[in-house]
Amino acid sequence: MHKKQSFAFSLVSLLCLGLLSCSQAGSNTELKKLTITGSTTVAPLANEIAKRFESENANVRVDVQTGGSSRGLYDAEQGLADIGMVSRALKQEEKPNVLTFVIAQDGIGIIVNKDNDIKALSDEQIVKIYTGEIENWKAVGGKAAPITVVNKAEGHSTLELFLKYFKLKNAQVKPDVVIKDNQQGIKTVAGNKDAIGYVSIGTAEYSIANGVAIKLLPVGGVEASTKTVGDGSFPLFRPLNLVTNTSPSPLTQQFIDFAQSKEVHDLVEAQNFVPIQ
Amino acid sequence: MNQQQKTNNKKQTTNNKQLITTSLVWSVPLIITAIFFWILGDIIWHGIGQISWEFLTTATKDAGRSGGIAPIIVSTVLILAVCLTVSIPLGVGTAILLAEFTREENWFGRLVRRSLDVLAGVPSIVFGLFGNALFVRILGFKYSILSGGLTLACMVLPILIRSAEEGLRAVPNDYRFGAACLGICRTSTLWHLLLPAAVPGLLVGLVLGVGRAIAETAALLFTSGYVDHLPTSLLDSGRSLSIHIFDLSMNISGGDPNAYGSALVLIMLLLIINGMAAWITHRWLENRILYR
Repeated sequence: MHKKQSFAFSLVSLLCLGLLSCSQAGSNTELKKLTITGSTTVAPLANEIAKRFESENANVRVDVQTGGSSRGLYDAEQGLADIGMVSRALKQEEKPNVLTFVIAQDGIGIIVNKDNDIKALSDEQIVKIYTGEIENWKAVGGKAAPITVVNKAEGHSTLELFLKYFKLKNAQVKPDVVIKDNQQGIKTVAGNKDAIGYVSIGTAEYSIANGVAIKLLPVGGVEASTKTVGDGSFPLFRPLNLVTNTSPSPLTQQFIDFAQSKEVHDLVEAQNFVPIQ
Repeated sequence: MNQQQKTNNKKQTTNNKQLITTSLVWSVPLIITAIFFWILGDIIWHGIGQISWEFLTTATKDAGRSGGIAPIIVSTVLILAVCLTVSIPLGVGTAILLAEFTREENWFGRLVRRSLDVLAGVPSIVFGLFGNALFVRILGFKYSILSGGLTLACMVLPILIRSAEEGLRAVPNDYRFGAACLGICRTSTLWHLLLPAAVPGLLVGLVLGVGRAIAETAALLFTSGYVDHLPTSLLDSGRSLSIHIFDLSMNISGGDPNAYGSALVLIMLLLIINGMAAWITHRWLENRILYR
């Protein structure tokens, strides 16, 4: 009887104690809180910047949530979050309601398998490959093999950017494989000698440095690298933005200044993006 | 002679037929077990190298590519604790009502049971949206461990209630008659006799529920959030292990090794929790039935 009761009692009290200690710790310290939400592409970078910001400013806590670029824009505009993350250039009608701050850039590169003989493709050739007009590598100077076209799934900003640059509509594209993210695209092209795809340049460079069997092709005659994205010569890129409503608080402004400063360039590079000059 | 040959032939065909059936019956579970061990082996093979004391006790670094997963383990355990503290009393209570205080064909019981069956089949993303609307927005808990735990509780309740009810129904009526004959009141019968006897059923529900809760990604992304800090209160947002694995493998280049490490930790956590549940109920059963 005693044994049983004390056992049950200790179990219950342990649980209560755990819950209590958790809720008390929160109310004792006065924390200033910043909430950031939006693009999943920007989130890991924002999280790293937030950690460094916290370590330099005591009593500040920065919470980074995700939910996509549109969500970031909406929540920042409505004041549901202090800062939104948007991984594309803002549309004209979106601009008046928010303040936009670029924190990094991301280039989109065309990739083929390392064993592919092709050294370069013109924009016109890429359009023809993606619309199915050219179906064999032989037609663009390679060996005779059918081309595997890798396209991104609907709703990704890399897809939007790719289509906009090559003046295509997604319905015109005749893909053999549809992928969802950079990692998957790289794995697909590395595993298929006749595949062509497009991914974030930073991620591609990281994979190439780690021995993955892909190579980047130049676009519009410009070599695809984080360097050419950084100096603005590479044509296919997107800005990674932080947005706020039109009257950001001092703390919000302080965070954004920090995110745009040289102090975080190593973090930007570590996430395979290109720092702003 | 002829006759004997015939019977021999017949025997041969039956033996052949049995051989086919036997091999089929054996091969199916073998394949299933092989798949299970393949998955487990793959995770252990890739993940065991990542696991160290440091990995389990330090915070994430470089978006999870390096560093540990300590805050994420803490958040996961807290979310699960909230989920179970809420769902077990509610679940057992409802199961008692359904099994002991309503007839099987009673309209109310049938209504509750049907709704639970429908709820059990609802995709988790729907629970996520519901949790986001109710706990995060209307009740104002924001993205927090509390919101996540409560959403998971809603998700786990149907499974928990149904298996607890089955467990109670499986107790022979003789127990109830016997208790009534001895003049024991219904509360005491329930507390001292029926519940302990129904514990195995409850345990099955608990194991299934914990499994579903701990694997949940979609619903938690909407409710407990993406923040990988060490939580300081239940109202802080906290990233669960499943979300961390998802983020590492799908969103972070070079995150695969730590994704495997986290997956291995998740499986170990599941085994530990299930083991603890079995041990606690076993203790409880021993105290209730054997030593009284």
